Amino acid sequence: MSATTTFEEDNITPARRRDPLLVVLWVALVTVAAIWVAPFVFITFTAMKSNSDVMTTSAFSPPTDIAWENFSGAWKKGNFSNTFLNSVIITAVKVPLGLLISAMAAYALARIRLRWGRFLLVFVLFGAMIPFQVMLAPLFTLVNSLGLIDTYIGVILPYLAFGVPYQVFILHGFFRAVPKELSEAALIDGASHFTVFRRIFLPISLPVLAALLILDFVATWNEFAMALVLLQNKNMWTLPLGLMSFQGQFSNSYGQLNAAIVMTVLPAVIVYLIFQRYFVSGLTSGAVKG
Amino acid sequence: MTRIISVLGALAGVATLAGTANAEDLTIWTLNYSSDAQVAALDASEARFEASHPGVNVEIVKRGTDEHKTALRVAAGSDTGPDVYFMWAGLGLGGEYVKAGLSLDLTKYYEKYGWSDRVSTPSLAFVEAYGPGMNGAPYRFTGEAVYYNKSLYEKAGITSEPQTYEELVAAAEKLKEAGIPAFTFGGTVNWHVMRLMDVLLETTCGAETHDALTGMTLDWSTTPCATEAFQELKMWSENYILSPFMGIDNRQSTSLFLSGRAAMMLEGDWQVNVIKEGANLDDFAVYPFPTGTGRLYGFAEYLYISTKSKNPDLAAEFLDMFSSTEFQEEIKGAFGALSVNKSVELGDDVPDLYKTWKEIFATANGTFVNGDQAFPLDVTTEYFRIINEVASGNMEPQAAATAMQVFISNRS
Amino acid sequence: MSRISHLQSPRAQALILLAPAIGIYTIFAIWPMIEVVILSFQRWNGLDADRVWAGLENYRYIFADDPVYWIAFKNTVIWTVLSVIFPPLVGLLLALGLNEKMFARGAMRAIYYLPVIIAPIAVATMWRWMYDPFFGLFNQIMTGMGLQGWIQDWLGDRDVALYSMFIAYIWQHVGFSMVLFLAGLQGVDRSLVEAARIDGASRWQVFRYVTLPALQVTMTIVIVLSTISSLKAFDIVYGMTGGGPAQSTQMLAMWAFTQSMQIFDFGRGSAISVTLLLITLAVVVPYLRWSQKREDAAR
Repeated sequence: MSATTTFEEDNITPARRRDPLLVVLWVALVTVAAIWVAPFVFITFTAMKSNSDVMTTSAFSPPTDIAWENFSGAWKKGNFSNTFLNSVIITAVKVPLGLLISAMAAYALARIRLRWGRFLLVFVLFGAMIPFQVMLAPLFTLVNSLGLIDTYIGVILPYLAFGVPYQVFILHGFFRAVPKELSEAALIDGASHFTVFRRIFLPISLPVLAALLILDFVATWNEFAMALVLLQNKNMWTLPLGLMSFQGQFSNSYGQLNAAIVMTVLPAVIVYLIFQRYFVSGLTSGAVKG
Repeated sequence: MTRIISVLGALAGVATLAGTANAEDLTIWTLNYSSDAQVAALDASEARFEASHPGVNVEIVKRGTDEHKTALRVAAGSDTGPDVYFMWAGLGLGGEYVKAGLSLDLTKYYEKYGWSDRVSTPSLAFVEAYGPGMNGAPYRFTGEAVYYNKSLYEKAGITSEPQTYEELVAAAEKLKEAGIPAFTFGGTVNWHVMRLMDVLLETTCGAETHDALTGMTLDWSTTPCATEAFQELKMWSENYILSPFMGIDNRQSTSLFLSGRAAMMLEGDWQVNVIKEGANLDDFAVYPFPTGTGRLYGFAEYLYISTKSKNPDLAAEFLDMFSSTEFQEEIKGAFGALSVNKSVELGDDVPDLYKTWKEIFATANGTFVNGDQAFPLDVTTEYFRIINEVASGNMEPQAAATAMQVFISNRS
Repeated sequence: MSRISHLQSPRAQALILLAPAIGIYTIFAIWPMIEVVILSFQRWNGLDADRVWAGLENYRYIFADDPVYWIAFKNTVIWTVLSVIFPPLVGLLLALGLNEKMFARGAMRAIYYLPVIIAPIAVATMWRWMYDPFFGLFNQIMTGMGLQGWIQDWLGDRDVALYSMFIAYIWQHVGFSMVLFLAGLQGVDRSLVEAARIDGASRWQVFRYVTLPALQVTMTIVIVLSTISSLKAFDIVYGMTGGGPAQSTQMLAMWAFTQSMQIFDFGRGSAISVTLLLITLAVVVPYLRWSQKREDAAR
């Protein structure tokens, strides 16, 4: 380890820093990054222009008179206060609840010897790979037969179901790597698995849980296909559904359409910018190291 | 944790609120309308009915077209759902729900309120079409015709409205020579370009053959006029449609028309309100697409009472109020030129376009409906695909007619 | 108190811990998968009370008579092949570049990753607007540069629509591969790299013989995940083209949805779903076995 560190220090000698290839590389990366940001700039600019400005000014010219009314107009017409609230409620219930049940299951699979434990694990992992898109119709008939179409519960339950596999997969890997000594002493002292789980495992897995929480927040916030099928009532729609319907209805109000896009995207962007490092660790801990 | 529990508690509260249906609730499912006037008219119906029926709470739920269709399927499979639902009256739409038993037989209400005498004849065409009994009450009858931009016509040297199909093509050619695209359509919503195909079929085939083709009793591939219609569609899309049109939708197409990018659009009478809200009405005029049969191109929309309604009598009272002379007077013009109620006349203060529309309705000799009204859903989907293939130059007319027939033959 | 004594057996405790997750998962994820198979052998329009047994008729229909199925199939294959090649390739290049220490590295990583966290449906809406033939970004840029000849009906021309959609898909997905590769690069032994350099190996040789072998596992994972996520392409199709023009951008997931939820032919829609399911399983099952083996070997 220490050898690597010294090498790294060697790397940052002034001579190395002016490596011409690195400069070329840097310029290339910055150029591509500029292309990557361009759509955001274009959307934001359009969102602040009036319809006639959109038709007459060039794409990247900044708006002269900022048309804030696009935002208020889109907010009202798109029923955003409603869809926003629905998204918040569904996400706020689904994400913590999903993590809790996944963590419980992952603990049991990782730390309690069960005859069918290995089978159960494969059974659950299997679900992480199967696209729910192929099951939209039966999901619809199932939830409909339970009378849960157009309810929060009716969409939260399938969300939970399809969130379980990935989370169990990650947490199982994490729990199994926890040294035996940590839990064994407590178990010998007569503590139940519930206690060990709550007192020992939950606290030490907080970083992983945080990463999963953020990832799951974004996934739930953005989910479209299931909501499309399970939420038919406009009053129950989530943000993505609201945006889609807005596009269908006001495709010729360019400024407002873009304002609607900005408002839909913004919460996830903010959460991302604040919790950036968790995203990366959440993704990589499962996929690469597992 | 306690926070989660309280959220759950709140959720349960919301769920119970949403689930309890008061006996005096009347739920109506209908569409999202693009014009403010239409939305206002619906709101007015709600207010009026609540005012005349104290204690009754009317809720009008408005949805997009696809959401509305799916929502009705959901309702069909459960006990929830509306008392009254909107549907286009055609075979693949309203007809299917009638056949599935979702629509209540309204014979006794027709007798009680005398609706048959009240509403106009063309709008009644579908009431007894899918039996048993009488299903749905006409809510709106609409026509579609050619709107044009007067100044662009002038610029191209077109002095009079085309009376025959040949004159229309000649006018389009004149426009083209003047550098003006004749028509604008939006291809992403499939039914928009379909309108052109519908009127072309009426033109090349005539009334009887057209009906037999859409009724799927005649073979498309061996009926020459079907191929001819596809041939004409190809000709129009190659020469006279503002291009590109496959990548835009109907509303964008309307915007382009209103801003003078093309001379004509094939739109419904309800579009008068859209023009009024976005441009100057005096710049535009309308005439029927010269198919040569004299039939009106249009369709009926009905309000049906659901068999699951707990309060059919109240629902019928609402339908009665909706088509009543009094209420139709109040919302005159909101849903198009002509009221379904025969005794409601247009006033003198209405826009000229409405007067033209009234004439179009009055002089029409029968009606023919949009393709997506006539066909079952799966055939409609295929019809869309074939039209788009032809319109974007990927399928030859004869192949299109054959493809249509192959699909129809494979259904049975 | 007596209840607690029942709960003392680890088996019972495990059961309680497992029950909620496994229960919900079985009912709402596994059962629909079984149901989709059952439905694929039936005729049902979603309205009638009865479902009618249809045997293999739905499969016969989609394979032989459905004019769209094979278009959707072909597009799904093209889409999958493209998504296995391009996002991982670009992601790898970016990761290699951003693995070097340089100015604003963190900011650039953040920018490339940003599209990943945006709702696919919002990406579709954004790009649909940028592709607008009259006022959109692309045609404006073309006009601005005097390249009127390059102006396209990006989403309306069947020859380019699928690829226009794919550009948006790359934009959204590259960041995902990049992050996985960046993590994989942490596992490359730097001392080995330095040793090779001292021995006079070129940059290419170092990449080819040191970095690339070390990335093998990451590579497999990225490719499998890319395959799976490309097979479920739905939101982006729904939001950008709806399968049009003339069903030329239709894909299996979307066509199954259209048949079931828009034409309301649940039988045919489910049959299409089952074929997609089988394709997915053909990728997933070998992968699961491979990763199980890896795990066993690591034990």
